[in-house]
This record gives sequence, structure tokens and C-alpha cells, in this order.
Amino acid sequence: MTTANPAEAQSAAVRGRARRQREEELLVWPDLVFIEFISAVVFTILLVGLSVTVDAILLDRANPAVTPNPSKAPWYFLNLQELLLHMHPALAGVVVPTIALIALGAIPYWDNDNEGQGEWLSGPKDWLNVWVGTAVASIGTLLLIFFDDGMHAKIYESLTGAKFPVSWLVNMREFQKNFPLWPTCTPEELAAKTCALGPLEWAKSIPLGKVVRTDLLGLPALDLNINIPAVLVEQIIPVTTMVGLPILLSLVAHRRGIAQTKREHMILQFSGFIAVYVTLTIVGTYFRGEGLALGPYTIFAHQ
Amino acid sequence: MASTERPTRRSMGDRLYDAIFSNRVWRSIFRSGYPNTPRNQMLAVATNVFLHLHPTRIHRTHVKITHTFCLGGLSFFLFLGLTISGVLLMFYYVPSVERAYEDILRLDTDVRFGQLMRNMHRWMAHGMVLTVLMHMMRVFYTGAYKPPREFNWVIGVVLLVLTLLLSFTGYLLPWDQLALWAITVGTNMVGSAPLLGEPNRFVLVGGFQVGQNALIRFYTLHVIGLPLMAAVFMTVHFWRIRRDGGLAKPL
Ligand code: HEM
Repeated sequence: MTTANPAEAQSAAVRGRARRQREEELLVWPDLVFIEFISAVVFTILLVGLSVTVDAILLDRANPAVTPNPSKAPWYFLNLQELLLHMHPALAGVVVPTIALIALGAIPYWDNDNEGQGEWLSGPKDWLNVWVGTAVASIGTLLLIFFDDGMHAKIYESLTGAKFPVSWLVNMREFQKNFPLWPTCTPEELAAKTCALGPLEWAKSIPLGKVVRTDLLGLPALDLNINIPAVLVEQIIPVTTMVGLPILLSLVAHRRGIAQTKREHMILQFSGFIAVYVTLTIVGTYFRGEGLALGPYTIFAHQ
Repeated sequence: MASTERPTRRSMGDRLYDAIFSNRVWRSIFRSGYPNTPRNQMLAVATNVFLHLHPTRIHRTHVKITHTFCLGGLSFFLFLGLTISGVLLMFYYVPSVERAYEDILRLDTDVRFGQLMRNMHRWMAHGMVLTVLMHMMRVFYTGAYKPPREFNWVIGVVLLVLTLLLSFTGYLLPWDQLALWAITVGTNMVGSAPLLGEPNRFVLVGGFQVGQNALIRFYTLHVIGLPLMAAVFMTVHFWRIRRDGGLAKPL
């Protein structure tokens, strides 16, 4: 008997809440169905209009013997193709996109309190984080691309008329070739002992296959020569950059009081990710020409 | 009481209304009358299999265009449009390296509305990639991935991948230089994966280079495999929205 009272009071509260919720609600027919119908009509008209005025592209018949220069993937993969220019192909083509997708899917499991849902950027610092993430990531990406293109060296050369003094700092490939600690011997020269050994010459070819004896297990022998400069330039430096810079961004934003909650960090990182994706896509689409050199380009030049 | 009294003579409009919406044929199809009363409006949504994807009522803020920008709905709309235009294109297109390019040329020049259909299909495909990406951004920035909607976000990521794959497999079908080399570049990326990359690329392309085998594989994936998977995941996506209590709203 006594327990019935609180239950009744509670159910009255529940009913009250349900009633208030009802008042906040509209009927799907007509309020939503109408909007859906109108936008379907509008977009049908827009699409027909677009299709009447702009024809889909069709180049010459496919010819495996003629490789166009440049050859490009569809636009939404040009960000990956752009990455390909700066790091090991396995990293750019497979590892990075796979990890990016897994990280994307994991967002709700990191940021799992339900604060701030159902409204556009409702927190006081949310917009700030969008702008900071977008600005830092897009500018940072462009700077990295310019660096790897040797833009600083080119600017130096055009200003002074002299060659850039530190050859191994022109871009990452130069670093891999000319860093003073690993002199420029090819493995063949090295074998023939026709060139001087540098202090780290051994680093260019570590015969891992001789250490990891898979042949003893009846498996094919590993033909694995680890080239430390290549591993450094194609893998370690890119991974450090791609993992380190976002972490650094979050740390600085945390110190500065820009991002404090999980949601704010998530907005910062997600905005940064979108900015990188968009920047790489635009560069890959419109600024990679012949030989994928940096410079303005459009596919329509082909027609 | 007066209001419930029947008028002595029914107007022309009322009789017409009854003739259209109360006859046996209409009733056999729709069960409820024309949706001009709240009861009939709710019944219209609840008893129609297509409209039943919706709840019968919806929160005030969710019908504001600026809440969703209709982006999820547009992605779905484009998917349906792509299915229809795609079926029409299939009437004329044969996925063989001898015929594919010529079929597309013929479609552009000889077939009535052929060029229009191809253009529609192409622009809708690009559009869908864009709307899906933007839909993901709107869901993120409205915090709609938070509990209990975590898993629907994951299903969304799968849909994003399927959308990209649908577009990618379609890219090869015109069999022009753009198609061949874009797919060559793209599949080479797969091939660069450590250990399993090359075998995977070989399975995808059906050989060492993009040719007839690749064309028939991409075609099959494009017209049946991937659309079926996308349809299944979309069904789950929509079902979960209903199960999770409609769109996310502020606490
Ligand atoms: C083929 C692709 C997709 C279709 C057709 C689709 C369709 C829809 C539709 C119609 C809605 C209802 C609300 C709205 O229109 O915004 C919705 C909501 C939602 N979508 Fe998608 N979607 C797709 C891809 C995605 C992706 C890529 C994500 C995220 C990664 C995602 C996550 C969600 C979530 C979490 C909701 C619930 C939003 C809320 O409660 O406010 N969807 N989707």
C-alpha cells in the first residue's frame, strides 16, 4: 500500500514528461513528408539541369600501351595518391586509410558521454575548435607538401641566385640520398668496394634474411635487406609526423585551454582530419601535373 | 452537439471526396482515408511500408532544414536515382573489352536520352560521395554519434566505404583511358600492402593487369554485389535510427 504512492507519483511525472514531449512533436505527415517531397523535386530538377548542360567525361578508348601522364585515381582517392608521393606505398595506400577508417568508426567509443548531442556544436568552445583544427591542419599539410617539394630551397635560390647550401635539407628524397652520415654508395659499389664507406654505410643494407632463418622452418628464405635511410624516410618520419602532429595539437590546445573535454578534443581532431583530407584531395586533383610535379592542372586539359 | 449533427445536404466537394477516398479500391490499397485529419495522417505513415521507415511523430527541431540539411535523405535519394538510371544503362552496356567503350559511345550518340541517362548517373554518383561525406560531418558536429547511437555510426562508416567502392567499381566500366588508368593506379595501391597486398590485388583485378577479368569483376560488384550490400546496411541504418529513438536530441 505504502509503496504504491511513490510509484504513482513517479508515473505521474513520467506522464507529464511524455505530455511535454508530445507538445514538442510534429506529425511526420505532413511536416516531414512535405520537406522530403519538395527536396526530392528540387534535386531532381537540379540534376536534370546539370546533366543537360554538362556531359560526363569520356576520353579515348582504353589502351594499356599508352600510359597517360599524369595517371590519376578517382578524385576521392587522390588524397591517398598524394600521400603516396611522400611515403612508402604500403603506408599511404593501405595502412593509413585502414587505420583512418578504424579510428573514424571508433569515435563514439572514445567520446562516449552524451553531453552536447542533438545540437550543432552546442558547447561554448566547439566552434573555436573547428576553426583551430581546420586552420592548423590545412596550413600544416600545405607546409609539409611545400617542404617535400623543396619550396624553401627554390625560394632561396630565386632570391640569392645561389644553390641551396644544405643539399640534404632540400626535401626528403635528398635527405635519404645525401645525409652526411650515409655516403652515396649503391649496394653494388659497396660490394665492389669502389666507393668510400661512411660511418653508417652498413645501415643501408642489413641482411635480415640471414638472421631470421625462415628456411630452417621449411619456409622460403627471406630476402629482406633492411635499408635504414629508406625505412627512416619512407616510414618512420611519416608515421611520426602523422601521429605526432595531431597529438602535439591536442596537447597545445589542452595547455592553452582551447580543448578540455573529450568532445572538444574530438572536434579539434575530426576537423583537422577533414581539413587534411580536403587539402590533400585539392592538391592531388588540381595541383599535380605531369610526372605528378606540383603545379596547376585540370583533367580537361586532356580533352 | 450541434457540430456533430449531419448537414441536411452534402456539398459537391464532400461527395467527390467520398467517391475518391472511401470507395473500395482506395480502401483496399491504403486502408485509411485521405490524410487530412491527425488520425489519418498517422495511419498514413504507420500503414504504408515505405513511409513506415519514419515514426508517426517527430521532434520539432528535426524538421528544421538546418538540423540535418537533408543530407542522409539526399544520400538515399541519390542511391535510388542511381539504381534507376543504372538499370537503364544496363540495357545498353555489355561489359566486354571489345564492346564496352563502343556501347558508351553509342549511348552518348545514338540512344535517345542515352547521354542524359549517363550524365545523370555520373553526376549522381559524384553527388552521393559528397552528400555521404557531408552527412557524416553533420552527424559528427551535432554529436549524434553519442550513446545510444554508437553502432549506427559504425554502420555509417561501412556505408561510406561501400559508397566509395560503388563509385570506384563504376569508374572502370566506360573502358576509356581515364577508367583504365585510374583503376590501375587504385588497384596498385592495394597491391602495395605488406604480405597480402599482391594476392589481394590479383584477386581484385583477376590477373596481372587490368583487362577483361577486371572488367567483369568490377561490373558484377558494381551492379549487384555492392548495391545489395549497401541496401542491406541502409536497411539496418534506418531501422537503428527508429530503435535508437529517432534522431538525437539535446538531453
Ligand atoms: C549511404 C550512405 C548513408 C545513407 C543513405 C544514410 C542515411 C541516413 C538518414 C536518412 C538519416 C536520417 C537523418 C539525416 O538525414 O541526417 C541518417 C542518420 C544517421 N546517420 Fe546516416 N546515412 C549514410 C551514411 C552515414 C555515415 C557515413 C555515417 C557516419 C559515419 C552515418 C551515421 C548516421 C547517424 C549516427 C545517424 C543518426 C543521426 C541522428 O540521430 O541525428 N550515416 N542516415
